[in-house]
Amino acid sequence: MSKSDGGIRILQGLLVFGNVVIGMCGIALTAECIFFVSDPHGLYPLLEATENDDIYAAAWIGIFVGFALFVLSILGIVGVIKSNKTLLLVYIILMLITYAFEMASCITAATHRDFLTPNLFLKQMLERYKKSEPDNNNDRWMIDGVTDTWDKIMVQNQCCGVLGPSDWQEYTSAFRATHNDADYPWPHNCCVLDDQGSPTNLDGCKLGVPGYYNSNGCYDAISGPVNTQAWGVAWFGFAILCWTFFVLLGTMFFWSRIDY
Amino acid sequence: PAPPALLPYVPQVPITALPGKLTATTFALERPCCIFDHQANASDAVWLVVAFANASGAFRNPPSRADVPLYEQLPTAHSYMTLETPVHAFACSAPSPALLRVGGDTACGGQEACNGPLPSPGPYRVKFLVMGCQGPKAETRWSDPILLRRASSPSTIDPVPAHRSSTVVVIASILASLGAVLAAAVLGAVGAKAWGSLCSRDSGTSTHRSYRTHHILPVLSRPPGCRCTPPGLGCFAPRPPAPCPAK
Repeated sequence: MSKSDGGIRILQGLLVFGNVVIGMCGIALTAECIFFVSDPHGLYPLLEATENDDIYAAAWIGIFVGFALFVLSILGIVGVIKSNKTLLLVYIILMLITYAFEMASCITAATHRDFLTPNLFLKQMLERYKKSEPDNNNDRWMIDGVTDTWDKIMVQNQCCGVLGPSDWQEYTSAFRATHNDADYPWPHNCCVLDDQGSPTNLDGCKLGVPGYYNSNGCYDAISGPVNTQAWGVAWFGFAILCWTFFVLLGTMFFWSRIDY
Repeated sequence: PAPPALLPYVPQVPITALPGKLTATTFALERPCCIFDHQANASDAVWLVVAFANASGAFRNPPSRADVPLYEQLPTAHSYMTLETPVHAFACSAPSPALLRVGGDTACGGQEACNGPLPSPGPYRVKFLVMGCQGPKAETRWSDPILLRRASSPSTIDPVPAHRSSTVVVIASILASLGAVLAAAVLGAVGAKAWGSLCSRDSGTSTHRSYRTHHILPVLSRPPGCRCTPPGLGCFAPRPPAPCPAK
């Protein structure tokens, strides 16, 4: 009798520890997802214009799942310590629902990350940057978002285009329709700007003389933060789910061993 | 008038890798320094002749400045002359930018020597022509054909990713299997409980009670002084000894 009693005590201790870890990870997940949703790099308009911003949906789900994990872990600790079958049953059912939501968030974030290729941003930039005639209000909203974001990215990161300034030469674009090729081989934000925001040497910039224009592409500046967000949500959520799996199995086993 | 002197210089697009040296409507040329010093006076001007590559053979130097074909005549004459520059700008000692940009002037308004953007990708051939008061004095050789960029439409860009990364497959498969195991465990536990309660309800509560009494019975109801017979048969008190026969 005493040996199985000791075993039950050990299982209780392990479950309490497991739930403490789940609670802390839940808070961490909420904090991480709030950070991503706040969009510190200002890249959300680009994703919004692709009409597929699943990474942000995954981060939003992560906020609520993290909070739910924290609350449920407290419920679990109380239920395990009191060996209360009803509390533990409620805990198991709600945990399974939370588990399903977090699964969806992880898989969505990981899948959507693959969708964000350089070609996607290139096509969007060429079709929307400084487009002069929006089709409708939604189009105008996206055009403004893309234009402002690209202007900001090109100046802040000293870059031009997705792969380089030659993007503007290899393809026609909405920008090209209103800005002729001789004056604007690429947008003037690709030039090295002085403090007032005008190019230091416009002729040098138009010719592509090193030192007067930005020769790098902006893809790294865009994909870096987006990748961090996608992998942060997907892998951290995956780790939490693996841990929760074992805690849930232990709780179910404990639940079946409780006598009324 | 004497035919213009042929200089051995060949105009060329700069070799250095500048992304803007060839665009859709402009191109850059290396500046010909020190080429015209011997033939030219201070009053001469250097023109750049631009012609379609297939029309360069048919080009005839204009006899005077008034006959110079201008930018607007390019579609009909298949050639024009532009970038009128005083000769001293190409002298050895003159400080100057290293490149000439053809087609860079978008504010042409019918003025002389307009350097307007080229209307088609070409190919074009160029040469320099020194014009004096009496007509052409010197010319360089024709350049190699210069082909401008042709831009393609962005609808040809395919944004679909090349292949699905293995990370997604790993995450999805592991999570799906964990979720399935959990669901099976819950269903199994619920099913076992339901099955167990179903069985115990069938045989009623008597088994339950008799199990308890089976434990308690042999311990409590054994009368003192009893010899135990094989278990399960109960316990019989030994018969009291028969009274001794009277002596």
